Amino acid sequence: MKNKKTSKISLAMLAPIYIFTIIFVALPLVYMFLLSFLKQAESWGVIYEFTLKNYLDILEPIYLTTFVESFKLAVITTLLVVIIGYPFGYFMAKLSAKWRGRMMLLLMVPFWTNSLIRLYGWIIIFRANGPLDKILMFFGITQEPLKLLYTYPAVVVGMVYALVPFMILAVFSSVEKMDWSLVEASRDLGATSFEAFRTVTLPLTLPGLLSGIILTFVPSMGLFFIADILGGNKVVLVGNVIQEQLMKAHNWPFAAALAVILMLMTSILIYTYRKITKVNELEGIL
Amino acid sequence: MRNKTKLPNVYLGIIMCLMYMPILLVIIFSFNESKITSVWAGFSLKWYKELFNDKSMFDALVNSLILGACSSLAAGVIGTLGAVGMSRKHLKTNGIIEYVSTLPIMIPEIILGMVFLVFFSLIGLPFGMTSLIIAHTTFSVPYVFMLVKARLVGIDKSYVEAARDLGASETRAFWDITVPLVTPAILSGMMLAFAMSFDDVIISTFVTGAKTTTLPLKIYTQLKTGISPKINAICTLMFVVTLALVIGSQMLNKNKKQ
Amino acid sequence: MKRLIALSLALVLSLSLFAGCAKEEESKTMTLFTWEGMFPQEVLDGFTEETGIEINYVNFDFDETMLAKLEAAEGGEYDLIIADDYIIETAIAQGLVQKLDKNSIKNVGNVNPFYQGQFFDPNNEYTVPYGAGVMALAYNPANVEKEITSYEDLWDASLSEKIGVVGNYRVVNGMALKTMGESYNTNDVAVIEEAGAKMLELAPNIRLIKDDNIQDDLVSGEIDVAVMYTSQVTLAMLANPDLKVVFPEEGFGFGIMAQFIPSKAPNAANAHKFIDYILQPEISKQCYEWMGYYCTNAKADSLIEDAYKSFLTLPADVDASSAEMIQNISAEADAAHTKVWTEFKAACGQ
Repeated sequence: MKNKKTSKISLAMLAPIYIFTIIFVALPLVYMFLLSFLKQAESWGVIYEFTLKNYLDILEPIYLTTFVESFKLAVITTLLVVIIGYPFGYFMAKLSAKWRGRMMLLLMVPFWTNSLIRLYGWIIIFRANGPLDKILMFFGITQEPLKLLYTYPAVVVGMVYALVPFMILAVFSSVEKMDWSLVEASRDLGATSFEAFRTVTLPLTLPGLLSGIILTFVPSMGLFFIADILGGNKVVLVGNVIQEQLMKAHNWPFAAALAVILMLMTSILIYTYRKITKVNELEGIL
Repeated sequence: MRNKTKLPNVYLGIIMCLMYMPILLVIIFSFNESKITSVWAGFSLKWYKELFNDKSMFDALVNSLILGACSSLAAGVIGTLGAVGMSRKHLKTNGIIEYVSTLPIMIPEIILGMVFLVFFSLIGLPFGMTSLIIAHTTFSVPYVFMLVKARLVGIDKSYVEAARDLGASETRAFWDITVPLVTPAILSGMMLAFAMSFDDVIISTFVTGAKTTTLPLKIYTQLKTGISPKINAICTLMFVVTLALVIGSQMLNKNKKQ
Repeated sequence: MKRLIALSLALVLSLSLFAGCAKEEESKTMTLFTWEGMFPQEVLDGFTEETGIEINYVNFDFDETMLAKLEAAEGGEYDLIIADDYIIETAIAQGLVQKLDKNSIKNVGNVNPFYQGQFFDPNNEYTVPYGAGVMALAYNPANVEKEITSYEDLWDASLSEKIGVVGNYRVVNGMALKTMGESYNTNDVAVIEEAGAKMLELAPNIRLIKDDNIQDDLVSGEIDVAVMYTSQVTLAMLANPDLKVVFPEEGFGFGIMAQFIPSKAPNAANAHKFIDYILQPEISKQCYEWMGYYCTNAKADSLIEDAYKSFLTLPADVDASSAEMIQNISAEADAAHTKVWTEFKAACGQ
């Protein structure tokens, strides 16, 4: 009796996400998938005729390169985000309750100001003879303007800046609920603090780290306006190509095909990552 | 046992400063007399005056607030129920639904926007606030879902079981045990969702109607004609307001405790 | 399963009903759909004051977004649209544009005939031009030793990392086509690819590719040479009069923006009134001085103030016949262009 009721309630809880996902996510994506097999019309729109041309076009060296470039930038970004965000989330979770709340809000405030505007803030910083150059030259570290704007490092900074909060929040929420007595127990058993971190803390916070990585890696494959604004449009990512195909060349089927491949690529990566970490997780806890 | 060095706090402080640095510059330049942001031409409040005369800006702000509140609330309900439901009821299809529901953050927004545009006109959904809320909810759900799920993983099932053994009803155990334990995750998920919605330009461009503009759209179109300090002024005001809200809520909390 | 479908349909229906109720019908409004910054606020306010018609000013960022949305609205929802020539040609072909009622536009005779009868509307049935522009080159002689007179000069090694160009591939690839003596609108894929090879040699000189506000980078010294639109040249020259504007010897791109009324515009009569209103010479003058594009109203030319005169009309010493409009090309040629463009951008980042 009890079980049946539980089951009913659980099913009711699942209903919204099932219904919403099927109607408003799955169906539009099915449409996109179908689109990727259609032909581009001469001037505007699509012709309802099956073709594999869009996928064959992706094999052109230049488009393969953009996938590699996007992947490279996403990896660099995610690594930096982990390096900066994980300790931040970790330390933040160890603060007193009062300060935790404050930090949380402090963290969110910037994200309620417009992200484009914040990027323009970086433009001001990176600009030739801008604040950064002035400081570096004042201390004699550099002799002349660095011309950092519209370079690769500027893009990386912009990406990390935009995505690091996701990592912080994810890590924070899993460190916060962690059972610290386990760490203490392992220390009592003679583990060094590094060992205790590796064998206890890291596995316990892995789910948070994982969702943080997904929340940063995945969007960074498709973000294009940061490369546009801070990179002067010279770092060509899949997102940029999709945008151009869609908005300037109106080749929607090709854009859809690019998006399908991008989606598959990120899915495979996440799947493998999940498989690997799940094993570690079990090892860590048992 | 825990280390009591000041180092972590220094680290937190430095990163925080870096996060606020670009915003600080935006604030400074909102008081710039010159229209060109690269040149400082002296202190002026004229951009604020111009801003207050612009009624459409405030309409857009109201739209954005409604949109952000509705979509993050919807995502909070759908995402939380989904994550909790999936942890309790293991259906074979759960994995697929979880995967599909996170797809909206995997695809570049631009194509998602395009697909929504075509799909909504296919099912006859008029463009306006409704289409905006639905579109924003799709990319907000994953944030709530993933954060709640990450938090649920570590929660001891025995808490709930203990409550049930002590005679609490299913609903009671859910409200008294599970909800308080996952609340921080729900809140941060919803805050993220709100922030994403409050910032979205690309998807909104496609699904908005002729009569609804959101603040980010407004800002974006104005940026196209040049970074006028007026936009800096809006951002400064928004920043000040959120900061005031934050401090206000802190004060309220303090009073409650005393 | 059936129940699920029924439920979801009910949900969708109720949502659309809800949204449908919110819509209000009123004839004292007009929805104007165009880019941001096309009209000074006084002109919009002046129109409302004179006619009592409220303007709902809605923006798009790309011509393509506009057409996609117009298509989704099936030619309704918007009353007056201002967009670029080539997209209007497509919109007309899609049946999304209605013929203008010229009788209700008294001032239509003011339009400069030079900008009429073009490829997108050969018989002037659907559109009234609102502004035109060229792709010009501007550079800062203080930082550039070489005197630039042609596109060919941009390939000069002394300009390494100094050039900024707009993000329009037809325009930028077109520079190479022009140096080869070809047309912007060639459909010959081999020629486009040859131009692409030439573009790769230009890549080391490119510092920046950007559509919006590229003039700021020229003024602030981030770049020293810019290939940009007329309105941007106007802004740059107003900020720094020492800059030099060049109309490249090989010829240059030229485009017209025009107003049209969608096929099912809810308030077409109001749109006609607006077209008529802004064709008044004094109003036109205000608009063009604000926008910074070439004036397409012949009666307004004489009213434009001297400070702006040189920017808002094609200079007399420039041969107008060397200008070429950028038109729609075949899908194949377009695909070749985008591929060449992607390769070029990637090469710029190396």
